[in-house]
Amino acid sequence: MSSEAHEPHGADDHGHGHGHGSRFIQHHYDDAKHQFDSGKLGIWLFLAQEVLFFSALFVAYVLYRNHHPEIYSYAHKWLQVKFGAINTAVLIFSSLTAAWAVRAAQLAQPKRLILCLATTIACALTFLGIKYIEYSHKYHEQILFGRYFDPCVSPGGVELLTRSNECAGTKTTVDFDEKGGTVKSGCFAEADLDRDRDKPGVQAECKVDEVHLEFYTPPTFKTSTNHDCTKVPIANFVGNNGTYTLTGLCESIIVKGDKNTVTIASVKHLQVQGSDNHVAVKAADLVEAGPVPPKEGEKPAPSTPNTITVDKAVSVDKPKIGATDSEVNADEAEHPREVNRVAIPNQCPEENPFEEHKVEPKKPCWRVAYQPQVCKADKVGPKYGIIVEYDDTSERGREIAIAADCKKPDKAPDPGDVLADKEQRLVLGQKLIAPTRELTTEQEHELEAAGPPPEHTNMFFSIYFAMTGLHGIHVLFGVGVFTWLLIRAIKGHFTPDYFGPVDYAALYWHIVDLIWIFLFPLLYLIH
Amino acid sequence: MASTEHHDDHDENQLGHVASIKVLVGTGGTLLVLTLVTVLATRIDFGANINLGIAMAIAVLKATLVILFFMHLKYDKLFHAVVFVSAILAASLFVGFTLMDTSQYDQTNIWNPDKPPAAPIGPRATQ
Repeated sequence: MSSEAHEPHGADDHGHGHGHGSRFIQHHYDDAKHQFDSGKLGIWLFLAQEVLFFSALFVAYVLYRNHHPEIYSYAHKWLQVKFGAINTAVLIFSSLTAAWAVRAAQLAQPKRLILCLATTIACALTFLGIKYIEYSHKYHEQILFGRYFDPCVSPGGVELLTRSNECAGTKTTVDFDEKGGTVKSGCFAEADLDRDRDKPGVQAECKVDEVHLEFYTPPTFKTSTNHDCTKVPIANFVGNNGTYTLTGLCESIIVKGDKNTVTIASVKHLQVQGSDNHVAVKAADLVEAGPVPPKEGEKPAPSTPNTITVDKAVSVDKPKIGATDSEVNADEAEHPREVNRVAIPNQCPEENPFEEHKVEPKKPCWRVAYQPQVCKADKVGPKYGIIVEYDDTSERGREIAIAADCKKPDKAPDPGDVLADKEQRLVLGQKLIAPTRELTTEQEHELEAAGPPPEHTNMFFSIYFAMTGLHGIHVLFGVGVFTWLLIRAIKGHFTPDYFGPVDYAALYWHIVDLIWIFLFPLLYLIH
Repeated sequence: MASTEHHDDHDENQLGHVASIKVLVGTGGTLLVLTLVTVLATRIDFGANINLGIAMAIAVLKATLVILFFMHLKYDKLFHAVVFVSAILAASLFVGFTLMDTSQYDQTNIWNPDKPPAAPIGPRATQ
């Protein structure tokens, strides 16, 4: 026996037609049935192990869903039922073809066997392709696991304030190019600015005291914007051909680009560094103007001087006009610098406007996790949310009242339009976010989907990616196994007395299908 | 020995059970219909728990069909069924035991390092 075991398979005494039949029947089995039954027991034990393996993730799912149903009812809206349903159908169909492949092998139908195996592989690849579409969408929208969960938009399609500011093209953009937008003040409006669309993210920081409006300037960059300095006292403009209007008191303004037209109400310190800018100031304290100083080793580009008009200079002593002109430059002989024309009335003001304006105190910059508030007829009172994002980290996790008032609206809004008060709700940090009417469950869901996610929503996606990812790896492994089977089927290895591998792989494939049958309703079909 | 004239019943030379095309296609078709049903059922609001119950009932029904007919467990050895069903029972135990103390967490506070909650004194107040 032991000497026989070393013989290559398919030796003559185990040839086709009689005895063991297939040359793939191993010597240490009594017969084909013995080998088949042993393999079958092995695969069932493996499948039992698979059930236990996945059960750990199902436990995590069930436990977390039980404790945080609000997260599940919110977060599943990011998943598209369409994709999940198609994938379910694809897997069921591939299960059918896998089962059919076993039948074809049992009945010695090689062509059918090959067709069934190939179809199964094609279905598995389709499944993975759809999975790829889903995953890549989530990657781009930052709907990811753990700390990488930083969604750009809510399931209802409303843009959210993100931690990373890396959402490309999804933020509300102020259209500088054509329509001319408004630079709103406050930290939320600044976060809405997506100044460079080619660059991902929002190039504004969530600070109220200062906003840098640095425009990355392509050659024909045109801007038209208003800026309120009482709220954001510092503004730096780097751009070409822009038109800016600045109201209120500005602490400091720097204009770096070329050919900009800037109208300023009042400014303490104005610097104009570009060329050919037209700046009109009603009141100014200190004005500096001159072309951008050339970098070391570079020759200064020939420039057209700036035109700066100041209606009222606040203190006569202070204005320092054309400060940079006094600097002696080695290249000046070659490129004589034209003096900037600055017109300032030579008079003392009677009052100092700078004393009167006060910069508004810092506004909170928060993002609230909350349960959508629905005003029931008999239930009126404050609801609480938790600050999940705040400039001042010590404020995070603090509970705040988010809706203390449930009044009947003056005039009844269109009952179908759930998002009628969307604008009001979406100002992050604003306290009143409750709709002021009773909603149906469906409307409630829609409203909920528009708002920011509840706290710890990342847990849903940790579980989602763990479950679908592990399942996806199984599908990938299945592709490999079925490809191997397909090659062997083409070589004609499988016969009615030797088709174990096809049967075992099909059983494995059915378990993969089985797990998806549960994953689909648990992840995609949450009501 | 492997003639295409095989009958669906278990014959002595045949390894394993040969499923008829009728059974296979019937099972696959039923599974697809049930998938459609479960998607449509989600759109109707029966209340969160009933909706979940319906979805799970359909999923269990689909799983049973797969196990019995696609996986041939109906015609397979009893021992294989025992192995597999015991794994499912064990998984159910894991889930069930995990949910046993669910109601114990109602009063959990979100941890704030600056304001840690006071240590509870005496038995917890009952609702």
